[in-house]
Amino acid sequence: MSKKIKLYDATKCTGCRGCQLACKQWNNLPAEQTQNRGSYQNPANLNPHTWLVMHFDEIDAGADGVKWLFRKDSCMHCTDAACVKVCPSGALSYTKYGTVALDQKKCIGCKECVAVCPFNVPQYDTKTEKVGKCDMCFSRLENNLEPACVKACPTGALQFGDEAEMKEIIKNRLAALKGKGHLYGDKFVGGTHMLYILPEQPVHYAGLPQNPMVPASLIAWKEWLKPLSLLAPGAVLAGTFLHYLTKGPKDVRKSLPETKGDA
Amino acid sequence: MMMIIEKGMIKVSTTFERLLHWYLALTCLMLIFSGLGMMFHSFNFIAVPFGGLKNLKLVHNYTGLFFIPALLLTAFNWWKEAGTFDLPDDIEWLRKAGGYLWKVDRIPETGKYNPGQKVFFLTVVIVGLAMIGSGLLMLYPEGQSKELINWMYALHACGVVALLPFIVVHIYLGTVGVPGSAALVYTGYTSRAWCLSQCPKWLRKKEEDGTLEIFIGE
Repeated sequence: MSKKIKLYDATKCTGCRGCQLACKQWNNLPAEQTQNRGSYQNPANLNPHTWLVMHFDEIDAGADGVKWLFRKDSCMHCTDAACVKVCPSGALSYTKYGTVALDQKKCIGCKECVAVCPFNVPQYDTKTEKVGKCDMCFSRLENNLEPACVKACPTGALQFGDEAEMKEIIKNRLAALKGKGHLYGDKFVGGTHMLYILPEQPVHYAGLPQNPMVPASLIAWKEWLKPLSLLAPGAVLAGTFLHYLTKGPKDVRKSLPETKGDA
Repeated sequence: MMMIIEKGMIKVSTTFERLLHWYLALTCLMLIFSGLGMMFHSFNFIAVPFGGLKNLKLVHNYTGLFFIPALLLTAFNWWKEAGTFDLPDDIEWLRKAGGYLWKVDRIPETGKYNPGQKVFFLTVVIVGLAMIGSGLLMLYPEGQSKELINWMYALHACGVVALLPFIVVHIYLGTVGVPGSAALVYTGYTSRAWCLSQCPKWLRKKEEDGTLEIFIGE
């Protein structure tokens, strides 16, 4: 099975939020009461019931006045996913499509993935004590359907397909944009399975990490301390066994004065 | 291992100390096994008798709650005898590894606890406090920076690496390594020979003070 890529081409996006709605619909996520904050970005961020949220940023474009930027914020589906590395129960796992699936039945609500995700994607629900995030519509992929957000997109800003095919599309699109398109997602965490083509440099997008990575603390823990936590006591256990065989137990009676033999 | 109190045996540990030892030991072991059950996928089976990983997590968290007073009581109870060093004898003892590893002519006399045990005690207290601190932050990460929380997990794992080898040595020397020791956490009494070998300074002091308790029969 070849890996899949979901492309979000912001240069074609009109910010209609059809994808956000389709995501709620397919995943059966309830609507919620929100507050008008003077922005189309609603809710303000991802939450346990919102796995996809459209971001709206306004930037100063000099002579052009103000530019309005759109960004689809949802799981990036890292190749080298910190959440999968940290998940103790196997609730988060890689799929044959290269995406990161979440089995909520297995989730124990430890919140470890919430802390390690460089994109702040997994959201902890205090009511169900489980996390929620986009799984790129795994149930749809399994039935040869594209993700719900892609299906809903009216402008072709969202596209989905095999990795090789998508890379070709991206290459052609970047060429057509003549340097005005910026690819985001291919250069870190082993490459993400959701890629962005952005009309502006990534630095202009609020909340978009410039250099996302698997936290050093996680590498220290999982690659060094974890094996050591068994190797160290194991080696010492072998050492005590060897000690018993070679030096033997300590005979405290040797400390008694010679005349007294009753221990 | 005879766990019978015989005539002439010396009382080394009080009932409170023995109960406290097992209170700390059992919560500690429970935390270790439940923690390993969550840290290693290959140890996930430890969760089976509890009905799954979610319950194992709860067991770990609630046992941690009981571990806090156990550790604090331990720290206060043994601080004088095991938390402070008797210089310069203790340094020499450590330099000679207490005569446990290679042949030495003369091992410095020790008090109630030898410097090896003191190092273990201090490790338990320091690592224990670090485990409590990091554990509470892992349990209640809300409002903290994610970076801090992430390092708390690494610190929690550091604690395991530091503590487990000591516990292995502790159990070895407390049982088959030094016969006569284990009785101290069960009956509280051991032989005069054991005291002369393991805590001669303490024995002499108790004899001088006239506070030594010797079992004289029913």
